[in-house]
Amino acid sequence: MTDTFAPEAEQPPSRRWLGLFLLLVPLLIAGLVFWWGFNRSQPHQFSGSVIQGLSAAPDFTLSSDRGPVSLSDYAGKVVMIYFGYTFCPDVCPTTLADAAAAVDSLSEDDAEDVQLIFVTIDPARDTADRIGEYVRHFDDRFVGLTGTEEEIGSVATLYGIYYRAGEGSEATGYLMEHTATLLVIDQAGNLKIVIPFGVEADAIASDLEYMLR
Amino acid sequence: MRSTWVWSMAVLALLAAACGSGADIEVADVWGRPSPSVATNGAFYMVITNNTEVADHLVAASSPACAAAELHESMMNDGVMGMAQVGPAGIEIPANGQTTLEVGGLHVMCIDKQAEFVAGERFDVTLEFENAGTVEVQAEIKES
Ligand SMILES: [Cu+2]
Repeated sequence: MTDTFAPEAEQPPSRRWLGLFLLLVPLLIAGLVFWWGFNRSQPHQFSGSVIQGLSAAPDFTLSSDRGPVSLSDYAGKVVMIYFGYTFCPDVCPTTLADAAAAVDSLSEDDAEDVQLIFVTIDPARDTADRIGEYVRHFDDRFVGLTGTEEEIGSVATLYGIYYRAGEGSEATGYLMEHTATLLVIDQAGNLKIVIPFGVEADAIASDLEYMLR
Repeated sequence: MRSTWVWSMAVLALLAAACGSGADIEVADVWGRPSPSVATNGAFYMVITNNTEVADHLVAASSPACAAAELHESMMNDGVMGMAQVGPAGIEIPANGQTTLEVGGLHVMCIDKQAEFVAGERFDVTLEFENAGTVEVQAEIKES
């Protein structure tokens, strides 16, 4: 009886480890493949509210320091639109910095298919030169637009953006209150997601990447 | 009995000395975001700790980097983002507590920047507290 067990008992420890290894490797691979497939089958979780159905983003034309710019100039790209003002020290630069970091983290090909448009809601202070230089500080691919009070008002209305001048101090003058969401238009030209203030760069990047798939 | 009391007080005092620097008000992580020169204003953020048994208030701030500085709060009302000066009482730092000035909330608003807000730059900021008096800190300009 003891003879039958002898070969195994005498098997060198290295061979026993090899056997265990050969058993574990396929299991590990199977696990990885399953996990990968499972992840891919999960729906993407957008960082903002998703607009259901088709909602064509209305075209508009405003002024930049490099001439007139229309939304339709960027047809086929994922376009982020943000309404803000350069006088704003907190919320607007934070959103622009996060959007810039998001675009920066994309592959070069993906980044080329993304455009950020910053529309000022304070045209009295934000000239085309000022808004242009302001947005290019965050990313030189970004575009900053201004116009007359009426032009800005009608574009904001088209996109459901509210703003008004609020009281400030002697030092600040008036301060603007505004809807501080990042609107994202997909490559087919439909308004797709509304990202609230405070969403960080990596979450914005993952939305952009998903929309470019 | 009496000596036990003396000993426990001594131990408590030692513990207190070991736990904090002992300053009534401690200010940490003072920073501001880099911004282009065409951006008129900036903001400073920080964490303020009150090591005393009574609430204190940050009532004013100033910096050579700003023509004027105000205490502000950004806030969301019905989905609309606004920003306003805090009330005359200033920003409360609760007794033995902490108040954080952070993005999208309380901040020292730096009005009419007098210097380039470039990453790596440091600016002196003077904070005025109701009880603790003047506290000098340095703000670092960095991405976040
Ligand atoms: Cu402010």
